[in-house]
Amino acid sequence: MPRRLDSSAWFLVPVALVAAAPAGAMQYLKVEDARKLAFPQADAFEPYAYAPTTEQRAAIDRAAHARATVGDPMIWRVSAAGQPAGWFIVDNVIGKVERITYAVALGRDGTVRSIEILDYRETHGYEVRNPAWRRQFEGKSARAPLELGDDIKNISGATLSCRHLTDGVRRLLEIHDVVLK
Amino acid sequence: MRRTLLATLVASTFATAANATDPADLERRVDQLSGEIAALKAEIARMKAEKATAPVPAAAATPAAVPAKPAAIDIARATGEAPKMYEEAEKTTFFGYGELNYYRPTHDTSNTTADAARVVLGFEHRWNDRTRLVTELEWEHAVTSFDDQGESEVEQAYVEYQVNQNLSTKMGLFLIPVGLLNEHHEPTQYYGVARNFVETAIIPTTWREGGLLLHGNLDSGLSWDAGISTGFDLSKWDATSADGRESPLGSIHQELQLAKAKDLSGFGALNYRGVPGLLVGASIFSGGAAQGTPDFPSPDARVTLWDVHARWTPGAWDFAALYTRGHISDTAAFNLTLVGNPTLVPEDFFGWYVSGAYKLWSKDEMSLTPFARYERYNTGWKYATLPAGLTPDALPTEGVWTGGVNFNLNPSVVIKMDYQKFKEDTTRDRFDLGVGYQF
Repeated sequence: MPRRLDSSAWFLVPVALVAAAPAGAMQYLKVEDARKLAFPQADAFEPYAYAPTTEQRAAIDRAAHARATVGDPMIWRVSAAGQPAGWFIVDNVIGKVERITYAVALGRDGTVRSIEILDYRETHGYEVRNPAWRRQFEGKSARAPLELGDDIKNISGATLSCRHLTDGVRRLLEIHDVVLK
Repeated sequence: MRRTLLATLVASTFATAANATDPADLERRVDQLSGEIAALKAEIARMKAEKATAPVPAAAATPAAVPAKPAAIDIARATGEAPKMYEEAEKTTFFGYGELNYYRPTHDTSNTTADAARVVLGFEHRWNDRTRLVTELEWEHAVTSFDDQGESEVEQAYVEYQVNQNLSTKMGLFLIPVGLLNEHHEPTQYYGVARNFVETAIIPTTWREGGLLLHGNLDSGLSWDAGISTGFDLSKWDATSADGRESPLGSIHQELQLAKAKDLSGFGALNYRGVPGLLVGASIFSGGAAQGTPDFPSPDARVTLWDVHARWTPGAWDFAALYTRGHISDTAAFNLTLVGNPTLVPEDFFGWYVSGAYKLWSKDEMSLTPFARYERYNTGWKYATLPAGLTPDALPTEGVWTGGVNFNLNPSVVIKMDYQKFKEDTTRDRFDLGVGYQF
């Protein structure tokens, strides 16, 4: 590292970065791509009108013991070669102040096949995109504790995003058990 | 859009039913029709429910953070098409944290103090998905005036620009990526009432500089930071006060307050989080500290600080360890002009700690976590050699045991209690109590 730097030249770095960046919103994965990734063999994604009764909603809230996520999830019934293959769900949770859009693929038995982060807007905590962290959810069902610091390990510096995503997945698994099963 | 869709569906279903002539076929179609009506009913009920219950954010303290659900999602839900991702509207969000503490020295209770140590308010404004402003304003010790000891500070003020999904940049006044505490210094993020000594005396948390930072992350869990920023001003050193002995770098930092910026500093950090529960990282910061001050006796003085750190949280355990070392070069000439004063500029200073915590009990959002930490640090470990007899003696290395408990009412509100025992200066042994929050 040179001992003294000519400060003026460094101001060109952000300019170059901005100029090099493509226009448009930040997005890590499109829903179509996430669906294909989660269910490569699937030939149909049929939208499911999620409309729980008041009782079902209460049952989900009770079992998920976490505050509601942002609105209701979008759900697709997945089939492969005419046979049910599972569910594909897109949902939002708040990380610290911003939404995290994520997708959960459930097998026919209601266990998690995979989790993908579709859109992340927070300044911190993006480490939840780390595949090793997301893999912790694979095989989990509504019977798992799904608690951060218990069966789901934390990422140092990304605690809020980890906690709220874990809460979100736990809720989706309860939705499966109460409504989809 | 949704209304049109429903109308089309109903119309086409009736049309199909009317054309049927065969009774069996008719029956089948009536079945189909009842199925579809049930689905429509469900859809209408859902729409009503959605209207009645506005989306509830996961974090209750951030109502401003949840804008109306964007149209793209509704269209997607009604049509079954995969939604187009959208740019969120421009928005401003508030956040903050605070810590209010009570310190009682056990050998000298007349020095017991209670203090609104920090009250911080921040806001984030996002212009679009790529560009945002983060500002953090801080009051320390409650009151700031001519004859009070409080401080009011702009702790962070930077524009962040997301270049692509793996690269972002910060421009302005930001926290230096060093150690475990500096970038995550909210009271809910560490154990014990006060911040640890190593990351206060050696790493001058909350340490911020003005400049440009690049931050990258890889799918492997490795992230990196690199940047160029303002640095320290050694000409500020006050040899008559004890400040430099409490924290050498804390006494010469500039905090972007009309900072002398002739000598810029460079810094870098690497952090690995590829294994869930594990963080391993290192950082380095280095830059000239004479700042071209006219007639300054040590024009080549340079401050360098580095650290290695690790945190491991397997289940209910939480372990952390950190080692850091600082060096100020070319201090002999400057120190020679300060001889006779109590506090000369050290050439080397260091600190390390290990800590362990265990979540003993939890119920709903509450939890109780006892912890213990041992740290050793020396703010004047070595001094540059001066002519015969003038080189100051190295300071003794202080060792501190801290044991206590964090009780969380929820993850964002913590009540803390601890006892600190000093190896060298036992007059500092103390009992601490505090409450901290973050939103």
